Amino acid sequence: MKLKHITFAVFGALAAAGVHAQDAFPSRGVTMIVPFPPGGVADTTGRPTAAIMEKYLKQTVTITNRPGAGGAVGNAAVANAKPDGYTMLMGLSSVSVIPEADKLFNRKPAYTLEQLDPIALISADPMILVVHPSLPVKTVKEVIALAKKNDGELSFSSSGVYGALHMPMEMFMHAAKIKLRHVPTTGGGPAITQLLGGHVTMTAGGPAAISPHVKAGKLRTIVSWGDDRHPNYPDVPTFKESGYDITYYIWAGLFVPHGTPESVTKVLRDAVRKGVADPEFKSQMTKINSPIKYMDAPDFQKYWDADAKRLAAVVKIVGKVGK
Amino acid sequence: MVETFNDLMLGFSVAFQPQILMYAFGGCIIGTLVGMMPGLGPLAGISLLLPATFGLNPIVAIVLLAGVYYGAMYGGSTTSILMRIPGEAASVMTCVDGYAMTQNGRAGPALAIAAIGSFFAGTVGVIGLMLLAPTLATFALRFGPPEYTALLLMGLFVLAYMSGGSMLKTLAMAIFGLLLGMIGIDIMSGYTRFSFGIVELGDGVGIVSVAVGLFGISEILLTAGNQDTPQVQKPTLRELIPSKEEFRLSAGPIMRGSLLGFMIGIIPGSAHIISSFVSYGIERRMSKHPERFGNGAIEGVAGPESANNAAATGAFVPMLALGIPTSPVTAVMIAAIMIHGISPGPMLIQEQPELFWGFVASMYVGNLVLLILNLPMVGLFVNLLRIPYAYMYPCILAFCILGVYSVSNSIIDVWIMLVMGGVGYVLRKFHYDLAPVALGLVLGPMLELSLRQSLALSGGEYGIFLERPIAMTMFGLGGLLLLLALKPLIFKSKDWRSKVGLEDEAD
Repeated sequence: MKLKHITFAVFGALAAAGVHAQDAFPSRGVTMIVPFPPGGVADTTGRPTAAIMEKYLKQTVTITNRPGAGGAVGNAAVANAKPDGYTMLMGLSSVSVIPEADKLFNRKPAYTLEQLDPIALISADPMILVVHPSLPVKTVKEVIALAKKNDGELSFSSSGVYGALHMPMEMFMHAAKIKLRHVPTTGGGPAITQLLGGHVTMTAGGPAAISPHVKAGKLRTIVSWGDDRHPNYPDVPTFKESGYDITYYIWAGLFVPHGTPESVTKVLRDAVRKGVADPEFKSQMTKINSPIKYMDAPDFQKYWDADAKRLAAVVKIVGKVGK
Repeated sequence: MVETFNDLMLGFSVAFQPQILMYAFGGCIIGTLVGMMPGLGPLAGISLLLPATFGLNPIVAIVLLAGVYYGAMYGGSTTSILMRIPGEAASVMTCVDGYAMTQNGRAGPALAIAAIGSFFAGTVGVIGLMLLAPTLATFALRFGPPEYTALLLMGLFVLAYMSGGSMLKTLAMAIFGLLLGMIGIDIMSGYTRFSFGIVELGDGVGIVSVAVGLFGISEILLTAGNQDTPQVQKPTLRELIPSKEEFRLSAGPIMRGSLLGFMIGIIPGSAHIISSFVSYGIERRMSKHPERFGNGAIEGVAGPESANNAAATGAFVPMLALGIPTSPVTAVMIAAIMIHGISPGPMLIQEQPELFWGFVASMYVGNLVLLILNLPMVGLFVNLLRIPYAYMYPCILAFCILGVYSVSNSIIDVWIMLVMGGVGYVLRKFHYDLAPVALGLVLGPMLELSLRQSLALSGGEYGIFLERPIAMTMFGLGGLLLLLALKPLIFKSKDWRSKVGLEDEAD
């Protein structure tokens, strides 16, 4: 409620000021749409980003949560917004999965990737495979051996079908040629709960989310989907080291609707570039355990393309398996 | 025991710091106001306030949010009782008998008993949380999908005791609710069902917008359709205080509701929503005069209100003892402390004793604050009924739309509410009870999820339900309950149903 009042106040005040300064972007407050509820990764990454961008844009950046349908509602809202730079999206890696899943079911896509232009990548974190400590396995080889021995009887929990915990597991199953039972839940928290209770055998978890449980000995780390070893888990090998060429990062990046003028995107890109180097932003991100991985638009576009291609391939595999 | 006492003293030394006390108080007030906004419940309340806590220290943040959470639970019962508008799923049952009491001129006692019951239940919950958190949390983890399925099925059996009308109509309404729950993305395949291309329907139909429409909007429509304007109530002071008889009748339901609510609350997931439905069913089953239910039985307010508050506290057990966000509300609370660099986990109680015990102590304080805040306010709230309907109802309608919209900034939710208002109006004209629709809609998606999760775990074998002791026990109990409910149908003996007439408010 409070946020909204502020927005109204700001809009009111700026409507008057805007008349004089129409040429220079931004002449009024900017909205950052977070397609997930407050408290999720997109939200906790979005808030410090919005705060730091305010400092350099010299305008308010208001966060609006538009949760729903695994992010599709908020993503579509930005994709179809007026391309003037006043509406931005704090999207997660799932942004590329949703249109693919739409294709799979032959339904009208809520939005397409061409409708979004990248501004900057803010953070990226690899997933880590964790098992229940009662399981007699410590390495990825042992996990695969166990899965093959109990053909198709081991299970994993996920945050939901095609979600951030499901996709990396499908990559793993495909690369290692094993079969696991998939138990989708309603979020990252419930997925870990299922594993802690010993109802499923394993799950893919974000480094921050699993950290307290790993420290307390309630979960055992096996392997990570990173390109390199994670700084907080130096003892956990990567899939690449183990001979499987799979990587999966859950990332958060900033987007604007396609067709936003370059003069405008430049202002936003500059604000993010200065922002991510700001110590204030760095300390906020350290607090929420989220590593900054900054990439400006051209690099981010390449990164995004590669990631989207990889994910699209996985969605197709899952689709075939499901039928 | 001594250790617990010392820890609790530490907690109170934290909770009584002026700054924290102030925030606890502020949280309770904000929460009460948020809860009174139609459509805005505890979850929406703390989600909206979460960003404001980022600048505070973690203890203050969690105390403030807990205050809002409790406050909203209290506030939600106020609008349910006075205006038949549930702030959230858990107060749907309160709408039925609470509002009936208001129409009988007993709004004051209903509000007072709701406040006292909530206070008692909240306190029982905190004591349980304090003494048993680690033990209970480990047990609660054993509730996997099969156990959940069994629990939810037991919840469905409660339907038999939920409505006073014909069994056929009750079941029809429950099926309508279950069918509404089918809308949305299929959890196993990602396929979108019955969404008609509307992206927002991917998450299904929200219980809050449906409940506000079915109960609140339909009431406004029905009143508008009356030939003569209903009398505006002029409550006197004597009518505000519950009678001795009302206190006597409420004692049992409050106690049973508190225990039941706490037990259901600790189970990870959103099962706490069903606690108020189950409590209502139990009270009706145990009552010597079940026909009074639906027409303003105080037990129908006391039980469910206590149950939902105890469940709210119970939900903190897995969050604090294990550091896992098991429901949307606790997920937001965990985010509030994570943003300060504390990662809640199994070691939280040891690593952050001040946070844990400060939180526990502040819950005692918060409950007391709410009781003190709410009992004198009963008079003020009841006097809202003096406002002529011509002025009050348009305002309520506007607040309903605002409240439902602001939960997730979605205009679709507003449409759902309005359509459900129309549906509710028609159904009530035909003497259908609406509570089973709400229960069906709440249970449907949860039951489907846990059933399919169980079958995914077992690879399609139904045997999984028989292999697990907790699930087995609950299925046994559920079967027994079902047989008891069927008995009058089979033996054609006259039970209370035959004595009960439907609410004749529609005439």
